[in-house]
Amino acid sequence: MSAPAKLAYFVRTAVGSIVRSPFVHVIAVASLMLSLVGFGVARIARTQLDALVDSLGGEVELTVYLTEDAAPERVTELELALTQRTGGQVHRVSPAEALGRLVTQLGEDGKGLTELSDNPLPWSLEVRLPKAARDAQALAELAKRTRALPFVTGVDYGEEALERLTLIARALEIASLIVFSLVFLTAVIVVSATLQLAIFARREEIEIQKLVGATDRFVRVPFLLEGLLQGVIAAALALAAVYGLVRWLQSGDGGLLAFARLDGKLLVDWPRLSGELFGIGCGLGLLGSFIAVRRFTRV
Amino acid sequence: MVHAGGSLQRWSAPPDVFSQCPSLSGTISPAMIQMFHVTKAYPGDPPVLVDINLDIEKGEFVFLTGPSGAGKSTLLKLMFLAERASRGQVLLAGRNVARLRESGIPFLRRNIGVVFQDFKLLPTRTVAENVGFTLDVLGTPRDEVRDRSLKMLRRVGLEHKADVSPLKLSGGEQQRVSLARALVNDPALLLADEPTGNLDPALTVEIMDLLTDVNARGTTVVVATHDATLIERYQKRTLRLEKGTMVADERGAKAARLMSQSA
Repeated sequence: MSAPAKLAYFVRTAVGSIVRSPFVHVIAVASLMLSLVGFGVARIARTQLDALVDSLGGEVELTVYLTEDAAPERVTELELALTQRTGGQVHRVSPAEALGRLVTQLGEDGKGLTELSDNPLPWSLEVRLPKAARDAQALAELAKRTRALPFVTGVDYGEEALERLTLIARALEIASLIVFSLVFLTAVIVVSATLQLAIFARREEIEIQKLVGATDRFVRVPFLLEGLLQGVIAAALALAAVYGLVRWLQSGDGGLLAFARLDGKLLVDWPRLSGELFGIGCGLGLLGSFIAVRRFTRV
Repeated sequence: MVHAGGSLQRWSAPPDVFSQCPSLSGTISPAMIQMFHVTKAYPGDPPVLVDINLDIEKGEFVFLTGPSGAGKSTLLKLMFLAERASRGQVLLAGRNVARLRESGIPFLRRNIGVVFQDFKLLPTRTVAENVGFTLDVLGTPRDEVRDRSLKMLRRVGLEHKADVSPLKLSGGEQQRVSLARALVNDPALLLADEPTGNLDPALTVEIMDLLTDVNARGTTVVVATHDATLIERYQKRTLRLEKGTMVADERGAKAARLMSQSA
């Protein structure tokens, strides 16, 4: 029994089946393709959103307000501790610098501030928090402990904004999980249904195959190959569609969708996206065909 | 029309192809098919076959007859394992099929050729592809499949129709294609379920001559038919089923007489 001859036969049979009944296969490939395009677009959107969240998060700062009589050595100790805990850089802001910033921020309205004889603003420490340190719970704990120090009057780190960002990130994760599960489930059902049609169309052939001594595996492999081929074709088409869409958005003619661009550019990791599309496409195709053959090749 | 009996050239069916099947080797029984007290019933219906005992030897030609609904097709199905007996033992070449696992059935079937009244040819494939189907299943290389299919078609006198659709053939020609498909792998056993049921008398003779020729070369042949003229004409061993029971087992002229009486 020759394996290459069998493989050649399987491929011929699978391709032949697609060629003979193109309509059902077009439906399967189209539905797979649409779910993969959905996945690709969502994946890219997610990358942009992550970048956006990152850029917003770049402004997450921990500000520690000090008392007027804070001892310089204690302040240095605190600076060191904050650097170690957060991994961020600490910047010491003098009352003069703080006033200067406020005046700049307020513009015309701030002019009066320059005429104050006494600067009401305290010394403060600003910690620019790196991504790894943006854990809402850990920061709350750090703020609490810092606030307890006698020479600290207050701690501010934009906790609401941070919590909201964390919440948005989690919601996105859950939402995408649900959406993808539904989309992929639909794709599997459609593939499985089309292959059931393909199996039904070939029931006579299957009956004769069994009659002349074909094993179950021999009957099933071409259908599994068909599912796999559908996945590959759908992934290739989806990749082309997503590429076209990205090119269109990049070109600036993207109209309403242009807001999705960050700095006029979309961040896309093409090799990774291709791998994911082909991987998922083949997986869904195989799964759909597997379900169909398991149930329908018993003749 | 080519007379098939004349065009069926010699071929070398091995005397015992079952010996090539590992699951069937080592048997010393001369019997091809044995049944002991076999009953077949489907849930909720009266039994189709009741207490069947039979013994068909290697190289025999046997007619299986009886009115419609007597259980002929079911008996054949038990022989090529499309159905399993509800009770009793079925032995193929000495091997008890009840002990055969589901996964072993395909390998056993490769030694059995089956022909049906409705031919069961695939209209989307050419005549040669239909014949080669049996070999495709065995993983035979494509060129060899084509060669052997053409050789087989030559034997049934249809080589010139190799590349046309079976739909373009007459009934007799279609049945010869179906026979070629059943025989291309040199089976040790050939089962035919009303092979001439759809054919006019001239074509019937054509197919029957082919079957007797196959038998003459060593293949055991079982033909289910309710056509009394066939049995009278060929005078072979005849098993008669009525309402699921074996009512007669006669040979030669006696079988013919039995048929003419019951007809």
